Amino acid sequence: MTALPANDIVGTKSSRRPTGLLLVAAPVLLVCWLIIWPIISAIIRTVWLPDTAGERRFSLETYQFFFSDQYSINNLMVTLWTTAVTALILLLICLPIALYLRFATNRIAAYVQGLAIFPMFVPSIILSYAFIRVLGPNGTVDLLLNAVHLPHIRSPYLTPWGPVLGLVWDNIPLTVLILLSGLGNVSNQSIEAARDVGAGRIAVLWHIILPRISNSLLVAVSFTVLGIFSAFTLPYVLGPAAPEMMGPFMQRTFRDLNDPTTAITQAVIAFGFCIVFGLFYVYSVAKNRAP
Amino acid sequence: MKRRSFMISAAGTAAGLALLPRLAFAEAGKIDVYFTSDQNVIDFWTNVVKPKFEAANAGIALNLVDGGDSAGVQAIAERALAALPTGADPQSDVAEGFDTRLPNGGIEAGLWVDFAAAGLSNYSKINPLALDIPTSLPYRGSQVLLAYDTTKLDPANVPKTWPDLIAWIKANPGQFIYNRPDKGGSGGNFVRRAIYEATGKDPSKFTVENYTQELADASLNPAWDILKDLSGSLFDNGAYTSGNTQSVQLLSQSAVTMIPAWSDQALSAISQGVLPETTGLVQLTDLGMPGGFTKIGVFSNGVNKDAALKLADFLLTEEIQSAVLTELGGYPGVSWDFIAADLREKFKDIVPNSIPVFPGGNWEKAINDGWYRAVAPNVDRTAA
Repeated sequence: MTALPANDIVGTKSSRRPTGLLLVAAPVLLVCWLIIWPIISAIIRTVWLPDTAGERRFSLETYQFFFSDQYSINNLMVTLWTTAVTALILLLICLPIALYLRFATNRIAAYVQGLAIFPMFVPSIILSYAFIRVLGPNGTVDLLLNAVHLPHIRSPYLTPWGPVLGLVWDNIPLTVLILLSGLGNVSNQSIEAARDVGAGRIAVLWHIILPRISNSLLVAVSFTVLGIFSAFTLPYVLGPAAPEMMGPFMQRTFRDLNDPTTAITQAVIAFGFCIVFGLFYVYSVAKNRAP
Repeated sequence: MKRRSFMISAAGTAAGLALLPRLAFAEAGKIDVYFTSDQNVIDFWTNVVKPKFEAANAGIALNLVDGGDSAGVQAIAERALAALPTGADPQSDVAEGFDTRLPNGGIEAGLWVDFAAAGLSNYSKINPLALDIPTSLPYRGSQVLLAYDTTKLDPANVPKTWPDLIAWIKANPGQFIYNRPDKGGSGGNFVRRAIYEATGKDPSKFTVENYTQELADASLNPAWDILKDLSGSLFDNGAYTSGNTQSVQLLSQSAVTMIPAWSDQALSAISQGVLPETTGLVQLTDLGMPGGFTKIGVFSNGVNKDAALKLADFLLTEEIQSAVLTELGGYPGVSWDFIAADLREKFKDIVPNSIPVFPGGNWEKAINDGWYRAVAPNVDRTAA
């Protein structure tokens, strides 16, 4: 966010000194050095490959291999599936929580907010093992169901649903906070005005609240998608051996298979998907800043 | 929005504290040991090696640092390698459980102490089976065996050969699980035992040098067939845990009846109550599951190199080697003749005379990639 100079700082008046630009120079340079340059260097390393004689030449063979290799494609697909399902479930869970926190005025709201923020302070590795204890085979849920003579459920542990449940829990705080800040833009007066002319709860949500927070929704989705796409610990511990998500897949290719070029190719492809949501985010921030 | 501003400032303070620069300098007389091994090994060092060594060598202290895994310690070793030409202090003295073939060029540059020439008084006691390269000093071994729940499986009926094990797994679907071969040695060596089975149970067939694509295809593909055939009878129709610890957890939750497990990890899990007293351990008698020896390397440019060599020699004493057996549940790095006679008698049944060691290098890569591509995906997980 700091990388985008707002109009009032840089100014359009010629009399302004470039103080604003200088202020943002440090973060911009840092971003270029630590983020932009590694991306460029990664792309170059995957298309400018050494041939058998050691000469470097332009080639797309690592990408051709990725997209012709069913195993890699399955991993990409399960990553996209996990990301989509997790983002959807997150919105379905977090929007009601955020709405409740925005409009509730009683004491309980403070506890609900505390509870919603709590996952932020739990490291994902601890969450993973707790998940196996609670939702895993013969875990707490199983024992409780058993105690009341309900049938045994198939545990999501080591199936694609394992990472989904873990990631949803892990991402609730961020999503709730972003939506909550968006809901701050919805004035009580506009809701009361809508109620006065006879709008029901659904109508207020659909015509008054959602249009105001569409920006926050976009930001929340972009953030969670970026986080989920690159998730590592939860898919690693809770997910199935195959197909695996891109995070564990990249790590395994890089370390266990000792194949940095292929790992970087996978990273560039993952980056290609993430940049779409990154652009969404930049777009929505820029739109917000427009006068 | 008081609540939220409090949250933000609290988070900011915490982040700020974490970012404060932390400077560290190696101290003379304080040996920095970096570990790749699991917590049970670090506990062993904290509770046994450290007090005994410090008592025997006044003025020398041990600083035990969990390096995470091999890649974590490799970063430390690369730092030491970078410090080598300038003579700077690498702030590290000993790397535990680390292959001194890494980082590339380290041995050639003289990064590691050559133990064969270091004049350690106990060097000759090392089990010849365990010796690898002279820059690595083996001090303990462990082997993968089968851990099972004796309340569900009578020790009298436990499978003791590979064919019996396969028959048992198939007769008891869902009661066995092993972890992905690259994520932990227990599953990894179970997979390697299948490779031995497919190639005539001869561990000498595989060496680091003899890897070729043809030999790999000829020996690994039949093993994948064995494991694929098995997958439908595994826990949850072919699930594989992502590490040694998760397998132990499933056994402790009674979700499965039998797992392959590291001998030391299983013994310490039982002694800590992570696994119940009713857990049985058994090794296959037709050919044991592979294991390996854990080695230490000493940095030649460490500030405390001489003290670190004292430590290396101390590790090979009968006192520590016996403790490896009794406290850690591992196998000694020295030959069995240098272990107390009563212990030799007590453990003679569970410790085999040979521990097959499967070579690493290209083999490891071929096994890891081959398993993920051939065994892991080709399972219909929805089948009942």
